[in-house]
Amino acid sequence: MNPPKTHLLTAQFRAEMDCPKEVVMWNYYDHEHLVGTHYKYYNAARVLAERDDWSLVMRSKKMPLIPFYGAGIGFQYMDGNTMKSFHQELGQVLEMEAFFEDLPNDRCSVTVTYRIYAHPVFKVFDSFFKKLFKKWFWATWEEDAPMRLRRWKVHQLGFKDFSGIEYINKKTPRPEKIEPGQYEFIPPVRKSSPIRTVEGIQRPFETSNELGYAD
Amino acid sequence: MSNTPTGALVSLVPRNSGDENYQFLATLEELKKAGQLTRWVEDHDILLYEYEGEIKALSNICRHFGGPVGYHKHKDGVFTCLWHNWTFSCKDGSCTSHPAYPLRQYALKIEGDKIYVDLLG
Repeated sequence: MNPPKTHLLTAQFRAEMDCPKEVVMWNYYDHEHLVGTHYKYYNAARVLAERDDWSLVMRSKKMPLIPFYGAGIGFQYMDGNTMKSFHQELGQVLEMEAFFEDLPNDRCSVTVTYRIYAHPVFKVFDSFFKKLFKKWFWATWEEDAPMRLRRWKVHQLGFKDFSGIEYINKKTPRPEKIEPGQYEFIPPVRKSSPIRTVEGIQRPFETSNELGYAD
Repeated sequence: MSNTPTGALVSLVPRNSGDENYQFLATLEELKKAGQLTRWVEDHDILLYEYEGEIKALSNICRHFGGPVGYHKHKDGVFTCLWHNWTFSCKDGSCTSHPAYPLRQYALKIEGDKIYVDLLG
């Protein structure tokens, strides 16, 4: 029996960040920020299961060019320096690979490839697929980039999760030398919300008067 | 209504350090634009805002993962951190979603149109 014919819808994007790749990996595994940082696109999220470097997550989102929200299930795991994920959405399986690579001077690059192996009739969607995922990649990248840079910055100032920066909390002079050590990414990311419960988490608002990150 | 907030509206956060620790933060004119702004002063990210007639300053660094507390304009007396929606009272920086993690408050001083922040106060 011959395997069914398929048509590959695919798109690939590469971008660089001024932070180590582990910070970007943290960002990809931090599911709780979906309804915060990306509140314009995601309105709900729930972690169905996770352990070590894999997770199964329900997300409800509205992508650019698509005028409605859709909920889907995604499974993601680390394979070396590549995060692989599979998303079931609208009857299709979307495969995504994010390849993380160190660059000199605490920089990194991320190459993301999206693929859907679809019925040949979907060939007519080639152009739409590329346009959709180009918008999606850059829209979320622009929201994640300052998050990663800030995360890296506060790490260098000695920030500790669920604590803060000691010299700020204690109102003491900033130490002349801060030695934060290497940024480590050890999944899963510690949770502070009901995202692992049946209720999941919802975004607190749809619109906001955004004032932005600090100067 | 006056176009310019007055120095008399400054927060009553107690000061425990000398004037030498005060650094320029912003002008009243800058604060007036949105009633709220954030700015790095040395290695402090500071959230400056006007609330119920007082000018106040908090750390803009959420103690959860370091997110920007003042990214969104405050609403209903609450700041909501951009990253994970932790919430903080505009009144005193107490964390209303995770009470064990309040934000540090900063003492302020206003001279003319300039607002200064005490990095140790």
